[in-house]
Amino acid sequence: MDLEEVKSVARNARLELTEEELREFAKDLEDVLSYFSVLDKAPDIGKHDFNPVPVANVLRDDEVCRDVDAGLLRDSMDTYQDMVRGPKLT
Amino acid sequence: MKIGLEVHVQLPTKSKLFCSCSTSAEEPNSSICPTCLGFPGSRPSLNRRALEMGVEIARFLDCKIPEEVWFSRKTYFYPDLPKCFQITQYDSALGTDGTFIVNERTIGIWRAHLEEDPGRIKRVGKAGEEVSLIDYNRSGIPLVEIVTAPDLTSPEEARIFLQELLVELRHIIGTMAGDEQSVRVDANISMDGERVEVKNIQGLRNLEKALKFEASRQSKMVEAGMKVVRETRRYDEVRKVTMSSREKETEEDYGYIGEPDLGTFSVGVIARSLGTTETPLRRAHRMAGHYAVDFGKMRQIVLTSMPLADMFELLAQKVDPEIALAWTLGPISANWSALLPRIDDPVSTALVSIIVQTANREITDSEARRRIDAIASGECPADLSCVVEDGMLDSIIAAFIDEHPQVLRDYSTNPRSANSVIGHVMKVAKGKYNSQEVVEAVKKEIEKRK
Amino acid sequence: MKGHISTEKLAALNEKYLPFAEFAQELEDLTDYPPKFHFSAKDNICATGFQARAGSRILEGYRPPFDATVVRKMREANGILIGKTNMDEFGFGTFCTNSAFGIPRNPHDVERSCGGSSGGAAAITALLDKHVALAESTGGSISCPASFCGVIGLTPTYGRVSRYGLIDYANSLDKIGLIARTSDDLKRFLPIISGPDKKDPTSIVQPQLQLGGFKVKSVAVPEEAMQNLDPAVRTAFEAALEKLREMGIESHRVSMPSLGFALAAYYVLATSEASTNLARYKGMLFGVRGGHIDQSFNDYFSEVRSANFGKEAKRRVLLGTYTRMVGFRDRYYLKALAVRQLVIKEYNGLMEHNDAILTPTMPFIAPRFSEIARMKPLEVYQADFLTVPPNLTGMPHLSLPCGYHDRMPIGMQLVAPHWEERRLLDVAGRWCSGFDIRFPEVSG
Repeated sequence: MDLEEVKSVARNARLELTEEELREFAKDLEDVLSYFSVLDKAPDIGKHDFNPVPVANVLRDDEVCRDVDAGLLRDSMDTYQDMVRGPKLT
Repeated sequence: MKIGLEVHVQLPTKSKLFCSCSTSAEEPNSSICPTCLGFPGSRPSLNRRALEMGVEIARFLDCKIPEEVWFSRKTYFYPDLPKCFQITQYDSALGTDGTFIVNERTIGIWRAHLEEDPGRIKRVGKAGEEVSLIDYNRSGIPLVEIVTAPDLTSPEEARIFLQELLVELRHIIGTMAGDEQSVRVDANISMDGERVEVKNIQGLRNLEKALKFEASRQSKMVEAGMKVVRETRRYDEVRKVTMSSREKETEEDYGYIGEPDLGTFSVGVIARSLGTTETPLRRAHRMAGHYAVDFGKMRQIVLTSMPLADMFELLAQKVDPEIALAWTLGPISANWSALLPRIDDPVSTALVSIIVQTANREITDSEARRRIDAIASGECPADLSCVVEDGMLDSIIAAFIDEHPQVLRDYSTNPRSANSVIGHVMKVAKGKYNSQEVVEAVKKEIEKRK
Repeated sequence: MKGHISTEKLAALNEKYLPFAEFAQELEDLTDYPPKFHFSAKDNICATGFQARAGSRILEGYRPPFDATVVRKMREANGILIGKTNMDEFGFGTFCTNSAFGIPRNPHDVERSCGGSSGGAAAITALLDKHVALAESTGGSISCPASFCGVIGLTPTYGRVSRYGLIDYANSLDKIGLIARTSDDLKRFLPIISGPDKKDPTSIVQPQLQLGGFKVKSVAVPEEAMQNLDPAVRTAFEAALEKLREMGIESHRVSMPSLGFALAAYYVLATSEASTNLARYKGMLFGVRGGHIDQSFNDYFSEVRSANFGKEAKRRVLLGTYTRMVGFRDRYYLKALAVRQLVIKEYNGLMEHNDAILTPTMPFIAPRFSEIARMKPLEVYQADFLTVPPNLTGMPHLSLPCGYHDRMPIGMQLVAPHWEERRLLDVAGRWCSGFDIRFPEVSG
């Protein structure tokens, strides 16, 4: 894995890495990914479930209820006129 | 010109898609909870009604509906997205390969799927330097996304497509106040060459404006010998222009994975359990064909209201469809807001009988109108005895004589000619008045006109 | 008084072993227990009155406004929550050396690791009489520290215990369980924390928990699990097999080829899911805030994340982001999903003929910190090769102390089919009646 590739993955994950970190992670990822290639040899039995046990048709009724006070949540956040402050969009 | 749309319609549920917060809230950040804020430790749980509505829509669009669906995480970083992943459907949709007909043209529907809305961002500050203020009331509101094939050929057609789609959806899943303003669309448009995506257009009117602007921008570029580049643009509602989206510098790799907190859902079973409902525009098509009348007029009727279309169909089974149409669009429509709340039987039966009588020339058009007005204004009770209520007797007689002036002429030589008037009144009044009363009233009216 | 605890005592233990990320500053008098009892919760389990930082600086200051379902149930059962236990950041680690809040020490030897990622939970259980800890395992985070600290670790079936209030590592793998000193405590507390919870859809599908009605007669021991073992572990494990035979539990050597794929599949799934779970940490709604909100959002998010995630968190986020990217998703992520089903199938096949699967828990005894410092990340990941497979498959498993070497405990791990926790409880009860668990000598 070259440094540019690590850099691009890091950018995608919103991580800024120092040169030293980049070099170290490039080596680590290389090791781990080459170990992962063992998966290429595994048979694909065609089932790709997202859970280890079947979870099906668990639905909630369309009812409004509130466990936690919204005011409490607002107070815990950085707000201006009850709107949450965020960074610049540029 | 090829236009394809990704339409995001809010589903009118009471609670959000994955939490029990209310979908209607006035004050900013007043309908929020740990789940729709993505607080660590919180967890989603799917709203049954939202799933059902989504399946109803997919079925309406004649989509192929799979037996089982699931959700995925679409990961990207933006201040309005609390978890920085959106729970949506990626390699699974509620339906695929459907169609929708607009002006006799079949528009392909690639897919329909469910997803959660991010929060609403208010941009504060000068353009390009905006700070964000976010209201998370919208975070987690259920959306259905409908993706069309690039089958639309003009901004007008795109607008009509969306307008008609909303009419139908309103009928299927319930009223959505202001849906024409709140609907959000990403549009792909290509003249000849590269495809440009205009993201986040809000509202029906803006859709047409944004597409017109973009079409003309692309034409001008081509005329000037410039190449249209493949890019993502944003519509600025205030300046009424599309602008290159500089915000997302790098093309995000969403890195879709399955959402493990929800499991799978047997939508095939849900789809089969749904009853059939005829949507307004499909009904207009059917009625136009079945009664051999103008589609535009049928469209006008269904758009006024489906009970008005019921009224029309009741009439069209009894009288000539053109006559039924004239009365439906005329006096009945004119009184519609007053009639609608009471349109059930016996009011509808009464209206039918009035129009049948005028069609059979048993009463005059003006008398029929008078009676319809009387029913609408509430002067008449619902059992329609009103038609022959006090005071009505004279008007029935007057109307008949208006239409049959020969009665007056004959009367001076043959008083028995009054019998035709009396017979008519007795028939219309169905025994409401005794014959003595009627005879006297008829004589009085004739004497008056002599 | 035996079992008496005080904030002073907790402070003294924390000074020496650092099992807590945070502990109660005021303690209710527990003299009238039972029914009152004390418990701890791993720091990734939300509880009101405490921060929930999951071992990460990025969650500094996060005070969840709700109790995790397990905490609520334990409190309703008269439990007193005495503290939040130290852990590897978000569960990312095998030795509990990746916590932002200091490294807990093994109660049997402070130069050694107490294991991870529920290291603090295992340490405090070993240290404190009558204690029970709510722990959590994604890929071995209950078995490993239980084994290194010489206590009992129970990881229930995926979905048996509600995850509402658990700070996610990897949602398809995370399981809340127990670390306890006695098999009786497992029997007492498992029913309390189990059961369907509307707030966690994956908990709804479970069949009723059964505590008895099954006597384990045979276990399978996969050959693949007996490779690369420290000789001390092998010796202790083989002695344990002999002892089990005396108790009436036969063991059979079997082959389980899919074990060779389990570790890779696990790390792909765990990091793929983790990298999406960690996307929310961006300095906006909870936890630490960045210094300059007037930055562009990309810079703001990147700065907060880069400054506050530890090294292992960054490594796993990179790995997980990579394995789900366009072009790699099929090869890694989707393939790993299929391998999980393959391993489940193989386990189920073996358990048609055997009541459970038995292996050592860890391939070596708790390592010294100096040894850990020399290990490369891949070597650390590979240390999980015995604890990962049951975690990957969501099958319930149990780590029991089975022997000692140089005064350090050695553990064995029993795996049962989905929802069959009772088989584990059966063996735990029978084993503990004939095995003397040694707890460390603690002064004060």
